Amino acid sequence: MHRRNFLLATGTAALAAATPSAPASGTVLYADRAIPLDQVRADGSELWVHSKDLPRINEFEVKPQGACRGDVCIPLAKSLKQGEWFHLTGFARQVHQSYVADAQVWSFGEIPVVRGEFLNSRIAPDFAVPDRQGKIVHLSDFRGKKALIVTWASW
Amino acid sequence: MDLPGWQKVYAELKDRNFELIAAAQDTGGEPAAGKWYDAAKATYTTLVDVQHTISSAYQFINVPMGVWVDERGRVVRPAEPAWTTDSTLKIGDKKITTEGKAYVAALRDWVENGEKSRFAMSDDEFTKAVKPRSAAEMEAEASFKLAVFFHEKGSDELAAKYWHHAEELNPDDWNYHRQEWSFTPDQAGKKWLDKFQKLDHSYYPKLELPGTPGSDKD
Repeated sequence: MHRRNFLLATGTAALAAATPSAPASGTVLYADRAIPLDQVRADGSELWVHSKDLPRINEFEVKPQGACRGDVCIPLAKSLKQGEWFHLTGFARQVHQSYVADAQVWSFGEIPVVRGEFLNSRIAPDFAVPDRQGKIVHLSDFRGKKALIVTWASW
Repeated sequence: MDLPGWQKVYAELKDRNFELIAAAQDTGGEPAAGKWYDAAKATYTTLVDVQHTISSAYQFINVPMGVWVDERGRVVRPAEPAWTTDSTLKIGDKKITTEGKAYVAALRDWVENGEKSRFAMSDDEFTKAVKPRSAAEMEAEASFKLAVFFHEKGSDELAAKYWHHAEELNPDDWNYHRQEWSFTPDQAGKKWLDKFQKLDHSYYPKLELPGTPGSDKD
């Protein structure tokens, strides 16, 4: 009896390693936005998302030639796609993007190839940060003026 | 806190096609930051940057730091300490020096002369000044943002775990340390002093402005 249960348990574990868990909800953090996802599949810290969710996560889109964002297209290993699912953490490793995950929340760092556009072009990264009244302010609101952006803190 | 100083600079330069955008790096939000803006009677753009978005975007590792952006949205000078006054604070055998006069003079020169200003960096200078983040620095950023998320959800234990992870990965980023310490204010001073006394480099990155032609320093 015990042995049978043991076999069942290991069988399930082996299956889980090959294919991620049943869909559950999760949250992705990227570029200071929290993107709630109704359905993700997780395997430890590995994360699979619906391909159709990719654009609202990081502005990439799965196309025949790869994952594309603007002029940048990154060819994808076949293993990153499984039907409608996209292996987001596998993609992160491919593009040298860091991530940290816990409690169904995956926090992704910058994507170096996207960051590189700033380093090469000097175009200041735009931002969306609230003012004191909660109104979102973008750097691009000040296009046409010189601007000094200065930080401080109460702490 | 240099907010009143910036109000003076803003009053002088605001009618010269110039905007000053101040961003409080405060996960505590308006309740933490607002009173300081009030006290300074700030009329420039006053942001409350709960997630430290500005520090992430421009690679600031302390406060105050600044970046100049021109009319076309190009960075003219990247991350550097941004004060309005000169001061020296001695702590034990170490000191913290601020060079605000030179910084504001440079800013004034750029607002007046634009890309002809000698303080406007060339592409070569910019490339030398801005380094891509290391893998550890990028993971620290991801971890810090995860901590902010858990903090806002009220999951304090998870938040603490990821503040600490960020601090371990990038111990040179004072924004991580000081934001985390702000949630245990009775210990914050001692923690700051302990770390400060062990520093083997300066507390702020060095402000490196080109000298005034014909003299070493103004």
